[in-house]
Amino acid sequence: MPTYKLVYFNVRGLAEHSRLIFAVAGVPYEDFRIERDQWPNEYKEQCPFGQLPFLEVDGKVLAQSKAIARYLAREFKLTGKCSWEQGLTDMIVDEFSDILSEMRFYWYESDPEKKAALNEKFNTETLPKHLGYLENILKQNGGGEGFIVGDSLTWADLAVANSNDWLRLVCPNPFDNFPLLTGLIKRVRETPQVAEWIAKRPDTPR
Amino acid sequence: MPNYQLVYYNRRGRAELCRLIFHAAGVPFEDIRLDYTKGEWPGEWKAKAPFGQVPFLIVDGKMLAQTKAVARYLAREFNLAGKTSWDQARADMFIDEFDDISTEVYKFASEKDEAKKAEMSEKFYNETLPRHIGYLENLLKENNGGNGYLVGDSLTWAGLGIANAYDLLGGTDAPFENFPLLAGLIKRVRAHPKVAEWINARPQTPF
Repeated sequence: MPTYKLVYFNVRGLAEHSRLIFAVAGVPYEDFRIERDQWPNEYKEQCPFGQLPFLEVDGKVLAQSKAIARYLAREFKLTGKCSWEQGLTDMIVDEFSDILSEMRFYWYESDPEKKAALNEKFNTETLPKHLGYLENILKQNGGGEGFIVGDSLTWADLAVANSNDWLRLVCPNPFDNFPLLTGLIKRVRETPQVAEWIAKRPDTPR
Repeated sequence: MPNYQLVYYNRRGRAELCRLIFHAAGVPFEDIRLDYTKGEWPGEWKAKAPFGQVPFLIVDGKMLAQTKAVARYLAREFNLAGKTSWDQARADMFIDEFDDISTEVYKFASEKDEAKKAEMSEKFYNETLPRHIGYLENLLKENNGGNGYLVGDSLTWAGLGIANAYDLLGGTDAPFENFPLLAGLIKRVRAHPKVAEWINARPQTPF
């Protein structure tokens, strides 16, 4: 078993997807967390692109949060059963990145009036549009009462469940009108390894 | 051989990396270019698109969306994703970094206020881009001195990705002036016979 060290800030943020993958796989790793006000520190030199998170595997380093998550998912057999399913999981994870990018327009806007307008637009138009497509994709996978890709848990299901935590930072009850996604999130969060991690992980604002 | 259709607009944009992968691999595909001024998009195509957007890929009637998911699927199918799981992850890492760079370009490219656009462009080319490229030059150097490939010892979609970014960044050597290893890599990839053939033959579009 390789030695894994995941280095990030003491938040869920862009590393939480990888932490969930480790949890589901039951693979031990060092969950190294740096407080914001201590950054940058000596770890910055190790960052391939000067940013966190990075993953260290037996001394070799990998950057970019999704590349990290995908590598771990692949190693722990959580990327789908064939090349096409891998593509589908990638597609779903990328859709959540798009949602996050749109959310950032609101998040980083400093003018209060513009910020409120962006938040409204995100919550009432942008987000429901994206979630609608995802609900449909889930439905097309055998009716939507199982997993979002194929017939077993993948890192795409973990992305869906994880999104509930960060979407609620800007939108109350984001999945209210999406019953299949709501059901999936519940199933994933109740998976023993996921439930155990959620219960014991550091409680951070985001 | 499966039947491939790539659906996008008549521009390089977000589909060009996929087109480069098809051509580098020598795999035929239908390069569908929709003219939205003629209503070809959305038209009947939007309903087929998994997230209502282009580009998307149709393989024997099944759809796959999201630019990088499509490109990675093709790279994997055509043995251009990296030889080991670690190499594949490293290639993914580089591709994500190019995407970060592209996102910065799209931000000022779509800015309507001309003065603000000029300011953003200036900052990008003088500060942001050199910083990103500096990191890339170092990482390339770490791969056996940097006179070969970005990842491992053979061409991957990561190499095609940076050769594609060259066009997005203006299609000149200027951004890479102080970064000889990257400049060399880009030249080598763009000179790859099948890549060069496509670059010469492809429709000429502004972006």
